[in-house]
Amino acid sequence: MKNTLDKLAFGAAMMAAVGGGVACGGSTSSGPLDNVDALVILQRPKRNDSGDIFQYTSYIAGARIVKLEPPTADGVLTTLCCDKAGAEFANIDISNYDLSFDAKQIVFSGKLSATTNYGLFILTLADGSVTQLPTDPDKDYVAPIFLPDNKIMFTTNEVVEPGAPQHEDEYERGTTTQMGIINTDGTAEQLGPRNLSHRTAPSLASDGRVIFTQWDHLGEENAGHLMFMNTDMSESREAFGKEGTAASNSTLKAVEIAPGRFVGIGTARNRTINAGALLDIRLGYPTTDGNGNVRADTSMSEAHASYHLLSPDVPLDNSPSANTVGRYYDAFALDQKDYPQLLVSWADGPVESSALAAAGTSADFGIYLYDSKSQERHPILDDHTMWDIYARPLQPRTAPSTTSSQSDGTLSGETLFGAMNVYTSTLHTFAPGSIYGVRLMEGFSSEEGFPRDFGTTEFEGHANLGVAPVQSDGSWLAKAPANVPIHMQTVDVYGMSLFNEPVWVSGRANESRVCGGCHEDRAVSTIINPGITVAQSVGPIEAYGNTPRAMRQSNDFSQAKIMGIPWDKALQPVFDAKCISCHNGDANLMAGGKLANPTYTISDPTTGANVTWTFDLRGQAVTLNVGGTMLETFTASYFTMAGPDMEAIEKGNLMISGDFHVYINPEDARDSLALTELNPPQQFPTQDPTKRAFNTATHAATYGFTDMTPDEYYALILAADMGANFYARENNPHVQ
Amino acid sequence: MTNMTKLAAVAALVLCSATPAFAGHGGSSALINQAVASGSTDAIIAEVEKTESLICEDCMTTVTSLVHDNRYAVREVAAWWIAKRPGLMNTMATQFVGDLANGDANTTRDAADFLGAVRYYNALPALQTAMTRSSLTVEAKLSIVHAVGYMAHVKGNPTLQIAMGDASPQVRAAAVKVYRDVLNQTDMSPVQARLGDTDASVRAEAAAGMGAFAVRSAVPVLIQLVTQDKDSTVRRNAAWALGKIGDGSARAALVTASGDSSPLVRGVAKAAISSLR
Repeated sequence: MKNTLDKLAFGAAMMAAVGGGVACGGSTSSGPLDNVDALVILQRPKRNDSGDIFQYTSYIAGARIVKLEPPTADGVLTTLCCDKAGAEFANIDISNYDLSFDAKQIVFSGKLSATTNYGLFILTLADGSVTQLPTDPDKDYVAPIFLPDNKIMFTTNEVVEPGAPQHEDEYERGTTTQMGIINTDGTAEQLGPRNLSHRTAPSLASDGRVIFTQWDHLGEENAGHLMFMNTDMSESREAFGKEGTAASNSTLKAVEIAPGRFVGIGTARNRTINAGALLDIRLGYPTTDGNGNVRADTSMSEAHASYHLLSPDVPLDNSPSANTVGRYYDAFALDQKDYPQLLVSWADGPVESSALAAAGTSADFGIYLYDSKSQERHPILDDHTMWDIYARPLQPRTAPSTTSSQSDGTLSGETLFGAMNVYTSTLHTFAPGSIYGVRLMEGFSSEEGFPRDFGTTEFEGHANLGVAPVQSDGSWLAKAPANVPIHMQTVDVYGMSLFNEPVWVSGRANESRVCGGCHEDRAVSTIINPGITVAQSVGPIEAYGNTPRAMRQSNDFSQAKIMGIPWDKALQPVFDAKCISCHNGDANLMAGGKLANPTYTISDPTTGANVTWTFDLRGQAVTLNVGGTMLETFTASYFTMAGPDMEAIEKGNLMISGDFHVYINPEDARDSLALTELNPPQQFPTQDPTKRAFNTATHAATYGFTDMTPDEYYALILAADMGANFYARENNPHVQ
Repeated sequence: MTNMTKLAAVAALVLCSATPAFAGHGGSSALINQAVASGSTDAIIAEVEKTESLICEDCMTTVTSLVHDNRYAVREVAAWWIAKRPGLMNTMATQFVGDLANGDANTTRDAADFLGAVRYYNALPALQTAMTRSSLTVEAKLSIVHAVGYMAHVKGNPTLQIAMGDASPQVRAAAVKVYRDVLNQTDMSPVQARLGDTDASVRAEAAAGMGAFAVRSAVPVLIQLVTQDKDSTVRRNAAWALGKIGDGSARAALVTASGDSSPLVRGVAKAAISSLR
């Protein structure tokens, strides 16, 4: 131990300088650790394979939970776990832990060998005994925290929906983790509603809610944000980071400083070893009491949220940090001052996985006391063979009340979604009367057997669950499947999206998720007329709320029954019957006095290689190839309408010349060229071909072909509004 | 080496000319090559990920060669990158299916890893045939099992059942473990049969499978395992399974197990008792 452990005696002295002294040697002056007898610290063998912020499977034997007493650089280090727990624990790795409210127990996630999974264990500090909780042996359970009422919350890759695969993260190729709770005696495990991507790093706030990081990935949205949920896993809602309020792509490991105020890590999604800059996040308006303590729980809302950078030199992206700047792994506030004293885990150097790995080294996280005002770090513990992380005072804390929402048994296991007045929105201004209804769509990723991408647009899989009509008072209600991610759009009478809720939302079985509006101002009360909403009196629509996952697909592509848009099944027959007599890839064909099939060229200015593409709605498979680089393989009609992967074009510095257009825009049928040209008919409340979306002649009338049916129009609209994908459940290669 | 040459030829076929890689937004073949030269798995993964959407001819050559790296994580990220380019992916998958029948152990391993990672379902029959090859190493067989598990298709069940009878307990345990996660899996009897396996890791996985599917007919054997098996992981998993199944006939055994000498077993058994009907 002496060879590798720096017990830096001068740390104690430095801390004395910081806060007027530490609880060491009988000092009478006050310091940030004055009332702390000991720290609990997790030590994990150093590693580099946990670059992305949602990594949870990394395993290297040799982790331990230790106690440093007193909490100074010359304190005594004692192993709490798991050297005495038995032979089964000889090769354990421990990823996270939490201290019970009475400071008598520790719950931790441990993995006993390379071939087993992370499970949950409770360590009793009085006798060092360890008990395993009964979690699925073949699934991972990590990030446990104690909740009031003798419960533990965790994240897990076990899935709440029987027989369904857990969502997969497209980028890290990992199985996502979602929330769950279990009693401390191992009974009553419950799994929470699912996000389409990961949820991680839960932490209990003093108001009884749990704050955690959620990866939001829906089209352009691709970031890790802070969310709240109740201790019963209901009412998940945004806390910080959306709507441009974040300091960085991802915010994680939030821990409460004071009510409404959290210290967290701001960083990029990947390659930063779960580490980044220190953020002081304030969710509401800050107020300061007579002792200089700052809280920020007045008018808490994302719109009022702000942050202070507590470590201004640390990169907020994934560029390598400079020497002496480094990155922070986690932080815990020791006071509530405007610039708090923090227990932090920090490593010097680049703390970027690529740079570290190429140099054959690893980040060396050690425990420091950090004065966020002077931005000085004072070392407490650094074992150079280990990551020293998650330092916490070994002392009791007050348990907040549980938080929950009412379970409505009349929902029969479904989730009720809705709004009191959908026109109330901070994100969009709707013209009065413009909204016909709200479309609900289920999301899924590649876990059901799809290829890596659903098409060229990088959107997730979608299944249409229906459109709930908006009533005269702006209210709507729908009963949808519980526990699955739902994407919502307001739509007009033509069935086209007016505005997207840019994130996935989900609810528990029998949970009502009825909002004030369509992303209403969270700090303002929604006023409705006395009584109930019209939607309540009419009743919710049924949006496949009790239909099993495998049945949530349809090969009836009529407006009332259509769910997924399998491009080759739902649209290609329409193109074949009504479009390809003109739109057949013939670059010279004239129709109505102009070229029927415009042509564009993608070229590589470096090599001169190029490929020419001509509008073609036929269904043959094609491979787009620029200078030998195969961009992608789909059908000609799909390429024509959805276009090539524009990210690939941009990153490849390729040039596009000629008559280039993308004809269907993801989530935006209304502004898609194909729809504006075709001019779709009214869909809701009834299909009416005499009423058209735009004040132009229809394509059919202009060029004299048989018009598409309203059902066919709606399929094309859904194709756009659901992300312009090629694949859906109905043409999943897994079930072909 | 023969296979490397073949894959290089694939890349050459799709390249019109040798050109410098595009810089893109932070990724390039030069950076991937630097990472490869460093020998660092993490550096390679990071650099390959950075070229996710980069149209980069030199990257194709570099990444294609990585599907034969000795490290699974490197092979996996290479397959991920290639899967983003379906034209290339299909060409390579066709070749890899052939390698399953004739390749040496490492080539077969690499082929299985690639085909699984890109979910090439047409490879399932070839994977089944390959599983019967006597010349394969345990590592290659594990790759076949994991490939089938990754596809999670019921048409892979025969392959997994062959693997459950393999001489290697590693292969048997892996097959039992992935079998339960096959989509639309209904028949757990092949896993139930492994409750009597000679190897503890296989018995433990089989017990977990019985709990996951709440296989009531497995209760008598699980009762024996929870109290009599010499391996604490088997006893723990049997206790967990009995709790999931909830059959009251397991009460006495679970009461006994709640006093087990292993901390892995005691808490799980106590909690399981409360789940009994």
